[in-house]
Amino acid sequence: MTMNLFNQFLSPTFLGLPLIAIALMAPCLLYPSPAPWWQSNRWMTLQNWFIGSFIKQTLSPINTKGHSWALLLATLMVFLITLNTLGLLPYTFTPTTQLSLNMAFAVPLWLATVIMGFRNSPTHALGHLLPEGTPTPLVPILIIIESISLLIRPLALGVRLTANLTAGHLLIQLVSSAAFSLLLSQTTAASLAVGLLLLLTILEIAVAMIQAYVFVLLLSLYLQENV
Amino acid sequence: MMSRLVILSANSLKGSGPFGAGLVHASRSLHTSSQSRAPVPPLPETGGKVRHGIFPEEIFQLLYPKTGVTGPYMLGTGLITYLLSKELYVINNETLSAICIFSVIIYGVKKFGPSVAAFADKLNEEKLAKAQEVKDLAMSGLTQAIENEKKEQWRVEGRAMLFDAKRNNVAMLLETNYRERLHMVTNEIKRRLDYQIALQHLNRRLEQEHMINWVEKSVIGSITPQQEKESIAKCIADLKMLAKNTQAKATV
Repeated sequence: MTMNLFNQFLSPTFLGLPLIAIALMAPCLLYPSPAPWWQSNRWMTLQNWFIGSFIKQTLSPINTKGHSWALLLATLMVFLITLNTLGLLPYTFTPTTQLSLNMAFAVPLWLATVIMGFRNSPTHALGHLLPEGTPTPLVPILIIIESISLLIRPLALGVRLTANLTAGHLLIQLVSSAAFSLLLSQTTAASLAVGLLLLLTILEIAVAMIQAYVFVLLLSLYLQENV
Repeated sequence: MMSRLVILSANSLKGSGPFGAGLVHASRSLHTSSQSRAPVPPLPETGGKVRHGIFPEEIFQLLYPKTGVTGPYMLGTGLITYLLSKELYVINNETLSAICIFSVIIYGVKKFGPSVAAFADKLNEEKLAKAQEVKDLAMSGLTQAIENEKKEQWRVEGRAMLFDAKRNNVAMLLETNYRERLHMVTNEIKRRLDYQIALQHLNRRLEQEHMINWVEKSVIGSITPQQEKESIAKCIADLKMLAKNTQAKATV
């Protein structure tokens, strides 16, 4: 039974051929592409509006130099939201449950912000390691603590996304298998489990979108600190 | 719906990509087809019709001649029964979670679909309204320019009248000026003549007064003291007589 639960997180293969590339690149085909006429259809308008308002909201606290990250953040957001929400459909594989993918996003982007900060204004970047108004005896310990918290950021970013999605998918599997096995013998308990499953599904949809947003938001915050 | 999306995406991706360009433009570069870009045929207002949200209407129309109205439904039921009975699709816990997620999605689409569509339409309408406003402003500006031009042409016709009026004005001004000057001249002459008259009057009066003074002085000089005394006595006698007369009148 335990083996069965984690099968959904195995990287998909078909006759030995890895399908992970298709799983990563196929979702973008679902999005409308701009047409040569100037007034687009509803899908395109909604997509434009969504990306436009998201970028406006995310980049407004960042100064002009950091605005070159707009395309990266928008793409990341759309990619993560798509992967997360598509993974809620049955029999699908969610690439963002793999720690490797999430760390591959978190570490380079976080490292980029840190290196940018240290290159452009090293004193300002080092100044982030000591909060204002700390009493003098605490200063050495606090610097060590702040640098540990700085170094743990990529780990936290990646593991947060992985853990949230993996936990959600596991819960869905567990509750649905409990409901399924109870379906014929104890129907009332099964119906309670189905109710729980419905609520859990709604929660998972919310979590999928929120986690993607949180990932990008935290990255934008690290960018704001260092640019 | 997703198949249509794939077709749409592939259609739009057709022009991009490494080999896509060749597919589209092959016939155009060789000039084998008479295809031209203008005039572009009008786009359909609404998307393709679907039944139950995902099945295109074309399938129903395709099967209608052979199997009637219930044909596609029988096909669907038969397919599902086949998959389930042959255990090609196994009902397991994923089925339950599938039911849950699809019911949530369908509920969401049914409840929020129209409002989201109206929002998208509103965004499009605003975009269209902006362009329409630009066009309307341009048109009204141009009609205004035409009217201004017509007015200028009408003004040109009245130019002769304007010149006549101006000429009249100038003539009147000259006339008025001439009359004023005439009046001024007459006034000045009259003033000078009046001065001369006043001078003559003054001379006559002075002569008269001088003569009167001389006559008086000579008369007063000719009165001797003897004559003066006689006249005074006569006056006194006259006065006494008068007093006696009045006294007598009063007592009577």
